[in-house]
Amino acid sequence: MTADTPSPPRSAALARLRDTLAGLTARAPGGAASAPIPVFADTSLIGAGLARGALHEVCAASPGSGVAFAAILLARCGGQVLWIATEQESNLVWPPGLLPFGLAPDKLILARAARWPEALWAMEEALRCPALGAAVLMAGSGQGLDLTATRRLHLAAEAGGVFGLLLRPEGAAGASAARTRWHIAPLASADAPRWRLSLLRQRGGAPAGPWQVAFNAATNTLHLEAGGG
Amino acid sequence: MKGRRYLAVHLPFWAAEHLRQARPDLPADQPLALWARQGARRLLAALDHHAAAAGLEPGQALADAEALLPELQVLPAQPEASAAGLRDLALWAQRFTPISAALPPDGLLLDITGCDHLFGGEAPLLASLISALAKTGLSAQGAIASAAASAMALARVRRDAPIIQPGAEEKAVAPLPLGPALRLPGAMLEDLARLGLRVIGDVLRQPRAPLARRFGAPLLDALDAATGRRAPPITPIAAPPDLAVTRALPEPILTAEAIAALLDRLLAALCARLSRAGLGARRLCLTAWRVDGTEQRLMIGTGAPNRDPAHLARLFAEPLTSLAPELGFERFTLHALATDPMGAEGQGALPMGAAPRPDGVLAQLLDRLGQRLRLARPAPLPSHWPERQWRAAAPHEAPSPTPPGWGARAAPVLLRRRPEAVQVTAFAEGAPAALRWRGRHYALTRAEGPLRLEAEWWHGGALPPARDYHRVQLASGERLWLCHADGRWVVQGDLP
Repeated sequence: MTADTPSPPRSAALARLRDTLAGLTARAPGGAASAPIPVFADTSLIGAGLARGALHEVCAASPGSGVAFAAILLARCGGQVLWIATEQESNLVWPPGLLPFGLAPDKLILARAARWPEALWAMEEALRCPALGAAVLMAGSGQGLDLTATRRLHLAAEAGGVFGLLLRPEGAAGASAARTRWHIAPLASADAPRWRLSLLRQRGGAPAGPWQVAFNAATNTLHLEAGGG
Repeated sequence: MKGRRYLAVHLPFWAAEHLRQARPDLPADQPLALWARQGARRLLAALDHHAAAAGLEPGQALADAEALLPELQVLPAQPEASAAGLRDLALWAQRFTPISAALPPDGLLLDITGCDHLFGGEAPLLASLISALAKTGLSAQGAIASAAASAMALARVRRDAPIIQPGAEEKAVAPLPLGPALRLPGAMLEDLARLGLRVIGDVLRQPRAPLARRFGAPLLDALDAATGRRAPPITPIAAPPDLAVTRALPEPILTAEAIAALLDRLLAALCARLSRAGLGARRLCLTAWRVDGTEQRLMIGTGAPNRDPAHLARLFAEPLTSLAPELGFERFTLHALATDPMGAEGQGALPMGAAPRPDGVLAQLLDRLGQRLRLARPAPLPSHWPERQWRAAAPHEAPSPTPPGWGARAAPVLLRRRPEAVQVTAFAEGAPAALRWRGRHYALTRAEGPLRLEAEWWHGGALPPARDYHRVQLASGERLWLCHADGRWVVQGDLP
């Protein structure tokens, strides 16, 4: 039977199977799961978006704007989001307010640490866990977050492929191993929130912005305003 | 051929005596009665022997009983606790026979077939059981017969611990009064009494067909069971699986590596038992006995039932560092304190339409984090009152669906843990125009509101005052969520 089976059809079938297999393996660890997280619809501004498996920082002039921007980015990760804060934090994340920014409560797990070292430990553990989509750590102004700590977090995020985000108040800028650092400040607005957003730093790239942006909840996009920049 | 033999124990004052065991502070020589609420009335539910000797009866009004017997101590009845106690007692009775059953509310049934010779015969077995119960403060009456219901009927009525030879059941139960022996409903007893039928023998002499027509099958079933003509099955109690493993060591160990290696062995043994029992651990306790006779305990908990030794070992890694071995530990016990049913591994069928529970890697991460942090999953609630818009659900629960319209109102993204007092120093058209906040003056560029929220009266209790919410914007662009209630202004949250 082996002798009279023509070989070309068999090799074609094999090639087809190999193609399918290659497609599957490429999609499982890579593909959509590792695509960068878009910030703007217009990719000419900062490229395709923020890398997963990396640490990013958001410095906010007002706490509300930082949390909203973080929620927009986290919602775009897909997957479960771990939101870590310490007990000393005077503000609680309010899930009903995050839903308009695309972050649904069924995607959210809130964690409260008694002390800052535990929050850091939890962040590192979370970033190493590939089952999680993203992890965010709210860092107060007085909390020790030096180059070593951020490097640890970044390495953990690289190992787990999780999108890591540090939410810091405005003045707390020190050396950091984060891939990008964003600054967000609120602007006077009539209805939908408007922000001034700038990319203060990015590894291997130039700073960019500032842009004046507004969030459109219906289309889930950040709009660049005409007069901005 | 010898058939089966049954030992029945009747505990006439079980509920009261069981409660007395748990409450040694109650004076033992004073009558005790338990009451239960029936509608608006409080009736006696159970008595001890002092109260029964004084002429009180179950079903009597509590007020009457207290008037008759002023020194009566009364406590509310705890039917669940007493049923659970009876099950425990049935388990204890397995020291006499492997098959024992609890017959609520106040009976035990033991299948002693083939066990009596271990105790020197049926009479010594019965005597040792009754005296063991008496030592713990329980009054008990026992009987042995070849039919379970005959033994039970005899135990309920006769105090002389009768032992009925096989085949003699019908003769033995014939003189027993119908009410106490068979536990027939009150209405049926009255009807039987009107016909002049008061003891079992009276009824047995009647033709069966008219009896069945008049009283239905329950009476005949009870009679047949009591005379041994028919043997309804008994439901033996099963001992809960033993979920503790102990290792005694020939030499004390004190290094962290040795302890971790021993824990691995204990976990492997325990997880094998859990797997056989179809359970997963929720809470584990590791007890380590030191050579100086003291013991140290470590506890871990998991969010979802788990029996993966590697995962449980990781959860123990952190608490293990707190052990102080000094001269070493010589004995370890690992005990699963709480367990939940858990199917076979890989049986991850999802309920249709429901979001999946976190499983696998994510559940393990949550367990690890849960040892040191407080985790919660926000579960949306259908409410407009800010504090009631979500509750903190366990992180291992499946996420709850979001009700339509939830979160649609322009809500703050951060809420103050404690509202921050603020002074409104100027108003424009009824809305705040300037603030004094954290010791500084702020002019407001914009104010929206008020949005009035009334408390949800349907939750009952004291109603908080209605609140007026204002969304204000400072000159810096920062937006705050102000609340005005009861004449006070507070910052309650931050808007995006």
